[in-house]
Amino acid sequence: MNLIEKYVAEVGKYLPRRNRADIEAEIRSTLEDMLDERTQAAGADREAAALELLKEYGPPRKVAESYGAVQYLIGPRLFPIFEMVLKIVAAVLLGVGLLGFGFNAVRMDMAGPALVTALGKLIYDSVGGVLMAFGNIVLVFAILERVLPLSDQKDLTDEWDPTDLAKEEDPDQVKTSDLVAEIVFTGIFLALFNLYPQYVGIVLFSDNQWTFVPVLTEAFSRYMPWINLLWVLQVGLDVWLLRKGMWDVTTRLINLALKLGSIAVAYVMLVGPAIVKIDADALAGTTLADLAVKLDPLSQFILVPFLIVMIVVPVVEIVQTAIHLFRRRPSAPVTIK
Amino acid sequence: MENNELIQNMVLELRRGIISIAVLNLLNREEYGYSLLKALSDQGLEVDQSTLYPLLRRLESQGLLQSDWRIVDEARPRRYYVISPQGREVLAQLKQEWAVISETMQKMLL
Repeated sequence: MNLIEKYVAEVGKYLPRRNRADIEAEIRSTLEDMLDERTQAAGADREAAALELLKEYGPPRKVAESYGAVQYLIGPRLFPIFEMVLKIVAAVLLGVGLLGFGFNAVRMDMAGPALVTALGKLIYDSVGGVLMAFGNIVLVFAILERVLPLSDQKDLTDEWDPTDLAKEEDPDQVKTSDLVAEIVFTGIFLALFNLYPQYVGIVLFSDNQWTFVPVLTEAFSRYMPWINLLWVLQVGLDVWLLRKGMWDVTTRLINLALKLGSIAVAYVMLVGPAIVKIDADALAGTTLADLAVKLDPLSQFILVPFLIVMIVVPVVEIVQTAIHLFRRRPSAPVTIK
Repeated sequence: MENNELIQNMVLELRRGIISIAVLNLLNREEYGYSLLKALSDQGLEVDQSTLYPLLRRLESQGLLQSDWRIVDEARPRRYYVISPQGREVLAQLKQEWAVISETMQKMLL
């Protein structure tokens, strides 16, 4: 491969795939024209001239950027929501971590150096989990960046009209940030319960080390297909809504059905065999073994966020959806001429 | 920032506005990228290729230019650009606007 071909390929690395071949062909054609002109004189050193030409033409990345080829993993339209979700997840992780730490500090009557050591170990052990959580969030946003239509950016390019501020909000207009947040959090829960169910549990400090005790039982996993179905359908509906931009009767009814389904599944789970329990076998061999029975009620706290996600949020949304369906705006008044 | 650098940046801004008119005008006759660069240079308007090619793409996406790849005289494939009917209408308007701006500035700077 000659120098010009290598240069063109290097520029191509930074170009969007859609226009890459076309732009590459144009750059190649121009460079060869320029080189021909410079080496018309007999005995001209073509390679030296190519080197000089490419130096003048500029760094490949800069040339690609001049074609507007700056590519984002997460672009400016989603970045504020991404930042918000990261802060919420960071706050939740920190809160859960501190709660667990506080509980253990009281239980073990920790003080002084023991307290510092335990805290240090907790931070050290949490790094992997925190990075994993943040990595999943970045992944979900990167996918959304490529799935959501560009029309979402209309507010950046449309003519700015300050009277819009005074207009009453259209109740059927979808709220992008709410839907994106719902997609991201549903994605996190899907990943957590399907790929890392062993990380749903409580941490206990014993023998100078943190022991993580999973609390989900076999019974819980039996409900996963139903939970997955509901959550995947929910994500599908959210993406559809983001693309449409407006709620209508069909999407409201589908949303209503999904929320009712969520409550029904949660009800069946709660009245059926225990879905969370501290397994004495998991603590066997540790000084916590004898605590299994005493700690079991604690595991029930895990159910709180589950109940919020599966029952409280759906109930609130069902009420909101019902209000929207029954209070649909009257059609535009007919003008009598 | 040095005065020289300030002036250079301001001249760049000034030129950026007029390159579109110059390119549309020159493309009344069909040209390929490099021949257009030379034509601009011959007329006294030095334009960087990193400015020209993205501009050509933008003007084409706006419907003001048309282009196609062709091999002429057994040379290498080249993309030939020419002004579109819509481009001609826009150019006519831009020429009028330019005449007004030019006259106004002449009076103002005298």
